[in-house]
Amino acid sequence: MRPPLPTPYPDRMTAAAPPSDTRSSSPPPKSGALAVLRTYLGPLWWRVLLLAVLLFTATGLNLILPQLLRQFVDGAKLGAAAPVAQLAWLAGVYIGVAVGVQLLTASATYVGARVGWRATNRLRADLMAHLLSLDMHEHKERTPGEMIERIDGDVTALSNFFSQFAVRVFGAALLLIGAIVMFYRENVWIGLGITSFVVITLIAMNRVRKAGVEPTRLERESSAKLFGFIEERLAGLDDVRSLGAGPHHLNRYLKVQREYFGRSTLSWQRRSVVWQLSMGLFAAGYVAILVSAVGLYSAGAISLGTAFLLYQYMNMIEEPIDQLTQQLQDLQKAGASLFRVGELLALRSSLPEGVQQLPAGALPLAFQNVDFSYDPADATVRGVLHGVSFSLPAGQTLGLLGRTGSGKTTLTRLVSRLYDPTGGSVQLGGLDTRALKLSSLRSRVAVVTQDVQLFQASVRDNLTFFDDTLPDERVEAALHEVGLGAWLARLEHGIRTPLPAGSLSAGEAQLLAFARVMLQDPALIILDEPSSRLDPATEGLLTAAMSRLLSGRTAIVIAHRLDTVARADRILVLGDGKVLEDGPRDVLAANPRSHYAGLLRAGVGAEGEGVLA
Amino acid sequence: MTTAPQPTLPTSDKTFALSKRLFVYKPGLFAFNLLMWGMVHASPALLTLAVSGVFRQLEAADKLRLAGTSTAGNIEPLVAAAWVAVAWFALVRVSRFGIFYGAFRAWIELWYTLDALVRRNMLAYLLTARRARRLPDTPAEAVTRFRDDVDDVAGYTEVWVDGWGFVAFSVIAITLMARIDPTITLLVCAPLLLMVVFVQRLSPIIRSYRRRMREATGRVTDFIGETFGAVSAVKLAAREGQMVSHLVKLGEVRRSAALRDVLLTELIRGVNTNMVNIAVGLVLLLGANKIRGGALDVADFVLFIGLLPRLTGSMGFFGDAIARHRRTGVSYDRMNRLLQDAPRDQTVQHHPVYLHADPPELTLMPAAGTAEAQPLEELRVNGLTALHPSGMGLHDASFSVRRGEFVVVTGRIGSGKTTLLRALLGLIPTDSGTVSWNGQPVEDPASFLVPPRSAYTAQIPNLFSDSLRENVLSGSAPDRLDRAVRLAVLEPDMAQLGSGLDTPVGARGVKLSGGQVQRAAVARMLARDADLLVFDDVSSALDARTEAVLWDGLFAETDATCLVVSHRRTALTRADRILLMEGGRITDEGTLAELLERSEEMRALWAEDGGEG
Repeated sequence: MRPPLPTPYPDRMTAAAPPSDTRSSSPPPKSGALAVLRTYLGPLWWRVLLLAVLLFTATGLNLILPQLLRQFVDGAKLGAAAPVAQLAWLAGVYIGVAVGVQLLTASATYVGARVGWRATNRLRADLMAHLLSLDMHEHKERTPGEMIERIDGDVTALSNFFSQFAVRVFGAALLLIGAIVMFYRENVWIGLGITSFVVITLIAMNRVRKAGVEPTRLERESSAKLFGFIEERLAGLDDVRSLGAGPHHLNRYLKVQREYFGRSTLSWQRRSVVWQLSMGLFAAGYVAILVSAVGLYSAGAISLGTAFLLYQYMNMIEEPIDQLTQQLQDLQKAGASLFRVGELLALRSSLPEGVQQLPAGALPLAFQNVDFSYDPADATVRGVLHGVSFSLPAGQTLGLLGRTGSGKTTLTRLVSRLYDPTGGSVQLGGLDTRALKLSSLRSRVAVVTQDVQLFQASVRDNLTFFDDTLPDERVEAALHEVGLGAWLARLEHGIRTPLPAGSLSAGEAQLLAFARVMLQDPALIILDEPSSRLDPATEGLLTAAMSRLLSGRTAIVIAHRLDTVARADRILVLGDGKVLEDGPRDVLAANPRSHYAGLLRAGVGAEGEGVLA
Repeated sequence: MTTAPQPTLPTSDKTFALSKRLFVYKPGLFAFNLLMWGMVHASPALLTLAVSGVFRQLEAADKLRLAGTSTAGNIEPLVAAAWVAVAWFALVRVSRFGIFYGAFRAWIELWYTLDALVRRNMLAYLLTARRARRLPDTPAEAVTRFRDDVDDVAGYTEVWVDGWGFVAFSVIAITLMARIDPTITLLVCAPLLLMVVFVQRLSPIIRSYRRRMREATGRVTDFIGETFGAVSAVKLAAREGQMVSHLVKLGEVRRSAALRDVLLTELIRGVNTNMVNIAVGLVLLLGANKIRGGALDVADFVLFIGLLPRLTGSMGFFGDAIARHRRTGVSYDRMNRLLQDAPRDQTVQHHPVYLHADPPELTLMPAAGTAEAQPLEELRVNGLTALHPSGMGLHDASFSVRRGEFVVVTGRIGSGKTTLLRALLGLIPTDSGTVSWNGQPVEDPASFLVPPRSAYTAQIPNLFSDSLRENVLSGSAPDRLDRAVRLAVLEPDMAQLGSGLDTPVGARGVKLSGGQVQRAAVARMLARDADLLVFDDVSSALDARTEAVLWDGLFAETDATCLVVSHRRTALTRADRILLMEGGRITDEGTLAELLERSEEMRALWAEDGGEG
């Protein structure tokens, strides 16, 4: 979020008055912008209506003020003959009306802000839901810092658009139109002159404004990059510092910052053209109105009070247009943001959503001739899986073996549909996984990955994913089950204790991941190297809980150590993305020519560890 | 070796002192800004004077007309004088247009330059300063320091750049008004001063509202960061819905905080603008009596009415400036809290920021054995203690590592292995104990135990979104690349990764498998050629054979000294010595045979690791 920038106000000292018409100046993806407006402002219609009423009233009162001044001037010029009581009354009314205008404007702004926040909070939630629904290909391209910028930064720029579009833009249009009408009442020719002046100014500013959208988009892009860079370095501070690479990363940072600086200053310069233009045009406009006033007066066509009135109404035109130029800048940002929000919303997950639900109970799993490549479009990238076929009956445990990089992890990713196969099919419970509802699939397939992802939040929130409806007892029970009971007892506020950054060992993190699975109660469990970060003694703690969890469920267990899969029903050995061997464990163990038997021998013979094929 | 105590909160003076230091970073540019913006802000006084002049002439003509004594002869000079005033008005308007153009560019340049400087200083300190560095918040929260607080601090410059122009305007305006009528001027200006006091009174409330708003915003951005940092866990658990509804909850809190902020801001702004109108009303009211005596005429009214809005605006600006000054103090505090033990002026120190040219390339990492590097003979650790607030951690660890040794640290989960390494390397603050290098006490391990002396790979290493090559090199000489990749057993992956070393690794390395990340991190460490290699459970994501290849390569090709956390037999059997840890203490030390002989714990660990063996 680049917050409402501390603007180098071009000329902000005019009293807070609302600006003018922007229907013609909404950002480039106009239909998208309007659709977004409709979607998010529509449900708030009665607030919007209230806003309109407040603005109408405020504008009407505002237009009366110069009239009061004219009467005063025309009364005052009588000098000694001036009617003092009447002048004093005029002054009192003036103060009263002025206060009324302010109260109304303030209420309008408040109501506008309410509308804006409601609408943008909804948009944030929708955006997040949408982004979460995208497949992993998308997520790999973006840092969390960039996501923050996209969900919050862009939307916050939009919140001005939502709240101020109504207040400022609509209010300004009213005031502008009212002031023009007032000019016509005084003198048709001046009215015509002012009308063309306003039209020219708005058209010209709108033209110029468009030049700012693209640089603004580039600016936001590079700001996302800048803060993404910082976030990553802060997350990896130890890695940088312990390798003495600080100066190198700082140097890289300076380059990123230089690009950001260039783009930011350029986009400000482009946007500022709007103000330049406004100042130039108004210099001309004021001179013209003074010339007309003096000219008409010396021709005897108007009174001194009217001459003053013309000047005051010119102020009234300047105020909305001047404010508008500032709003235009927000609108430009909003335009760029809206464009990017549109871009994001247009992204579609490449994983088609199915409709079928999984049946209850343990489910059989089958791979049929599955090929997979992370980048199928690029022929130079070698696929990860080639023609993988196997089937795993319901309720059985499959031990998955293979060297690092042989495709074990990838294979399991296809089951949970983080990716879809590029060829062949994966069937769970007899159904093609692509035909299943993703939520149905994923809530029944539990995965413990190599890298346990934790939140900087309470233990409870980490296990329940911020679900308040699960009772505390269940969470505590899950922790006890995985052997974290002693650990839990040491926590100051029990499961409400925030997980302290960095104080959790990788093994403890792994155990927490198990506790998550305990809470999920899945039909199929995938354990990707479950013991990799546990020391053997701790792993012992887990074995009992593990067998409870695995009983009655289908499971795939990946491990580098053979004892981890010693209790498996079946064994599958992967090599270079192909199935080298697949069968019941005891059969393979009994066959001296099998890879598995070879591994067992190597394990005994070498170092007492499974050196995997 | 403990962190320095929190510096005391700054007083106003400190904000002044820090900001002053910041302003003189580019003294010429700052002075130019002052000059230009001074003219931009002060010139409207001249405009009002010209308009008042126009009406003074017209009024004089009007009086003649009313009196019926007007002739072409006595009216024409007056009208001509009015035309001169109009011309004068036109001249000032046009020059102001030109000045604004230059002023704006200068301001953008200044603002973004100072922005860049403060950011650079913060990042530089975090990346390169001495002593242990632990972020007090999550990285995402820390990013808001870099974004919002830096913006506040740099944007505060605006107060000074604009401020003196407003002072100049106010002085001119009050002088002009006082020359007409000191009493009215006094009576009108008094409430304006009251307003400044009023705004000042409100400013602590504003601050607390702002703070709450910021905190609420921080929680939202944090949460977004957390969500996308752990996106695959969220997706795999099908918990997208819960995450979104939690965001909605956080959004509600933020909305109400924001609305309070808006309400108060509107109240203050309302008071500001009401003051103009009340002041105008007052002028009318007080003037009504004076008109009869001829003490006040229309031109004087025009002057008052013309000057008052901007004068009120100036007062509002001063009130706002005080509030902004305080906010800036808060921002400095928060940035310093992030930097912990940094000198107070770290954020504003003068360093080149290279905004118009790329930074000079760094001299590449010095090869091992340069003059200053003392090759390792013996690393000795004495009584090292590092406690978490919970009381867990490392107690009184003493051991030594001699050149060429392979020392393994082993123990159960949570026994303090990782803490030992991190405390030794100065990555976390320690409570007591010493580390000495060849008998010389190391004053600051964080800056001393880096290449070419020592290098470290964390248990869960962080990579950065960049190419694999950049990640591995991180500033090392490119000729180190091949050997590092080979020794880290990363070569077999090259074929699988689409573009080999040029493959982008994705945000935090997500495009690589767990093992690839681990080996890339090892390669990164080896590319730096250090005497002492510290591995924290590097084997956890590697299969035993890959690990064996890694150790064999290191033994064969380097004379590196290794300190390794592991519970694998692969490592234990190679160890010259083993440090056995239990409950945060080193409970035994010796060769594998010795420990198996005398330690029950060691036998338990050994037995459970090699189940099949």
